[in-house]
Amino acid sequence: MIDAPRVELWAILPVLMLFGGGLIALLASGFARRAAQAPFALFTLAALAAAAASALWLWNRETTTALEGMVSIDRLAVVATLALCGIGAFGAYLGFHYFERDDFRRNEFYALLLFALGGMALLVAAADLIVVFLAVEVLSLALYVMTALTFRRGPTEAAMKYFLLGAFASAFLLYGVAMSYGASATTSVQGLARALTGVGGSQPLALVGALLLVVGLGFKVSLVPFHMWTPDVYQGAPSPVTAFMSAATKVAVFVAMVRVLDVAFGSLAWDLAPAIAVLSAGSMILGSVLAIAQRDVKRMLAYSSVAQAGFILSSFVSPEREGIAAALFYLISYSAAVVGAFGVVMLISGGIREQTGFERFRGLGRRQPVLAALLSVFLLSLAGIPPTAGFVAKVLVFGAATSAGYWPLVLIGALASVAGAFFYLRVIALMAMQEPRGVDIADPSPLPRLVLAVPAVTVVVLGIVPGVIVPLLQEAGVLTW
Amino acid sequence: MRTPVAYFLLLSAILFSLGTASVLLRRNALRIFMGVELQLNAVNLTLVAFSRMHMELDGQILAFFSMVVAAAEVVVGLAIIVAVFRRTSTTDVDRASVLRG
Amino acid sequence: MLTEYLPIVAMAVLAVAFGVASLVVSRMFRPHRPNPVKLSPYECGNDPVRLPRGERFSVKFYVVAMLFIIFDIEIIFLFPWAVRFRQLGLFGLVEMAFFIGLVFVAYIYVWRAGGLDWATSVEAPADADLASDSPRDPMAAADEELAAAMHDAEVAGAR
Repeated sequence: MIDAPRVELWAILPVLMLFGGGLIALLASGFARRAAQAPFALFTLAALAAAAASALWLWNRETTTALEGMVSIDRLAVVATLALCGIGAFGAYLGFHYFERDDFRRNEFYALLLFALGGMALLVAAADLIVVFLAVEVLSLALYVMTALTFRRGPTEAAMKYFLLGAFASAFLLYGVAMSYGASATTSVQGLARALTGVGGSQPLALVGALLLVVGLGFKVSLVPFHMWTPDVYQGAPSPVTAFMSAATKVAVFVAMVRVLDVAFGSLAWDLAPAIAVLSAGSMILGSVLAIAQRDVKRMLAYSSVAQAGFILSSFVSPEREGIAAALFYLISYSAAVVGAFGVVMLISGGIREQTGFERFRGLGRRQPVLAALLSVFLLSLAGIPPTAGFVAKVLVFGAATSAGYWPLVLIGALASVAGAFFYLRVIALMAMQEPRGVDIADPSPLPRLVLAVPAVTVVVLGIVPGVIVPLLQEAGVLTW
Repeated sequence: MRTPVAYFLLLSAILFSLGTASVLLRRNALRIFMGVELQLNAVNLTLVAFSRMHMELDGQILAFFSMVVAAAEVVVGLAIIVAVFRRTSTTDVDRASVLRG
Repeated sequence: MLTEYLPIVAMAVLAVAFGVASLVVSRMFRPHRPNPVKLSPYECGNDPVRLPRGERFSVKFYVVAMLFIIFDIEIIFLFPWAVRFRQLGLFGLVEMAFFIGLVFVAYIYVWRAGGLDWATSVEAPADADLASDSPRDPMAAADEELAAAMHDAEVAGAR
C-alpha cells in the first residue's frame, strides 16, 4: 500500500478559484455561445474577487510549502496574486467593452482569461520546476488562443507568430528543467538550492540549466534578444488582450524568475549576474531605440515594454530583499500604466478593425481631452517622470542594482530612460500640439473612462506616496526556506 | 551491458540542436512546428536518461507531463495555423505580413 | 536464442522474394501495348472528371483529428495509475475520478460547441478579412477545449 500524499488544497485556493471559475465559464459558454456576455463578465469579476479574498486569507499563514513541496505559501505569492487579480479585472472589463461595442460574441474570452490567470497564479506560487513548466504552458496556451480570438487576419497571424516562438521558448524552458534535474536529482526549488550549496549537485550542469531557464522565461517577458514576437503580437492582438497579457504575463513570469534565480540557483548568483546584466542592458537599449522608429502606438508600446522588462530585470542582479521589493514595485506601477495605456488605445482605435497609427492620435487633446489626459499620465509613468509611480520604480530598481555594484548597468538604464522619454513625450506632443485630422472614431461612452481613471489614480498616488505599499512589498520580498 | 547515460544525453543534445536549427532555418509554419516537436522529444529523452542516472522517477513523470503539454500545443498550434491558412492560403511565415513596421 | 528467429527470417525473405519475382516475371512475359483509354484511371467506366491531385477536404477532418489527439493523450495519466491501482487504493481512485471528471467537462464543452458535429458544414468565409461568424465554428471549439484540457493536465500536475 502506498500512503496517500497530503493534499493541502487550501494552499492553492486562489488558483482553484480561478480554474473553477474558468471551468464554469467554459461550460456556460458551451451552452450559451451567442448569449449576452454581461453575466459572463460579472461572473468573472466575482471569481477574481473570490481568488483575491482567498489570497488575502493566506497572507498571515506561516511561510512554507504545500502539496509535497510543489507550491509555496508565502507573501510574495499573495502580493503577486492580488496584482494579477486586479489586472484580470481590468482585462475582463476592457474585453467586455471591446466585444460589446462591436456586438461580437465570444463568450469563451472569459473562460480563457480565467485559465490564463489560474496559470499565472500557480506560477507565482510554484516551488517546483515541474509546476513552473506546467503553469507557463497553461498561461501561454490560453494567451495564444486569446490573441486569435477575433479570428480576423491580423490577430490570427499574430497568434501564429506568438505560438511558434512561444513553443520554441517552451522547449528551452523544458530543457533547462531537465538540465537542472540532471544536476541535482530533484526538480524542487528548495531541493535544488540545497543540492547546489552542498557537494551533491553538478555546478556546470546547473549553470547550463539556469541559463536555459532564463532563455525560456526571457521569451515570455520579451527580453532582448528574445523579443522578436513582441511588436507583432502586441499590435495584432485585440487591445484588451494586449493590455491583459503585457501586464499579467510580466508579473507572473518575473515573480517565478525571483524564485528560480534567487532561491533555486541562489548559490550560482555570482555566475548568473553578468548574464542577467547583459540581457537587461540589451533590452533597455534596444527597446528604447527601436521604439523611436515606430509609427503605430501599439507597436511603440510593445517596444517600450521590451525596455521596461530590461529595467525590471536590472534589479535581479541584487538577490537581496530590496531587489525583490523593487522589482515588485516596478511590476505594479508598470502594470497599472500599461493596462491603462492599452485601454485608452482601445477606446481611440474605434472598434474591432483597430486603427492605431500615430495620425489617429493627432490633436486628440482637442477632441477627447479626458482620454488624452489619461494616456498622458500613463505615458509619463512609463517614461519615469515624477510625480508618477514609474519614477519611484526606476529609482528603486536602480538603487538595488547600484547596491549590488552594477553601476554601469544603472548608467545604461539612465541613458535609455532619457531616450525613452523622447518617444513617450512625442505622442503627448502629438496629442496636445497638433491639429486633429480625419474623422473622430473614438468611443464616446463614459464608463470606460471612469474605469481607466483607476489605474491613473494608482499611478499618481504611488508616485507621490510610495510608502503606502513599499513596506508590504518588502515583507513580501523576504523568502525564507 | 548497459549503455552509458552520456550517450543518451549526447544524442538528445544533437536532436535538440537539429530541432533548434530547423526552427531557425525553415520558413514554413508546419516545418517550424515540427522542429519544436523534435526539441520537446529530445528533452524527453534527456529526462528519461537523467531519471535512470539518478535511479529515481521524477524525470519520467516530467516526461509524461511534457508529452501531454506537447500534444496540447499541437492542437492549439495546428488550429491557429489552419486558421491562418484559411485567411491567407499560405503558411509561409514570411508572407504572413499584415504586421510589419 | 537467436536461432529461434531463423524461421521468421526465412519466411520474410521468401515473402519478399516471391513478391519481387512475380512482378519481374510478369513484366518480362506480358504484352506492353498502352493506349489512352487503358492509361486513364478507372472510374466505373466514366471519363475521369478531374485529376485526383490537389483536392482539399473539409476542415472538419482536422478538427476531429485534433480533438482525438488531445483526448487520446490524456489517457497517458491513466497508465501509471492502472499499473499500481490496488496499491494506490481509494486515494488514487478518487483522484482519477476527479481527473476524468475534468476531462469530461472539456468533452461537454466540445459537444455543445459543435466540435463533434459532422452535419454542419464549416466553409471558410469567402472574404479573407471577415471575422468568421458562422453559427458554429469548430476551429474556435478546438482551441477552447484545449484550454480546458490544459487545465486538466495542470490540476493533475499540482498534486
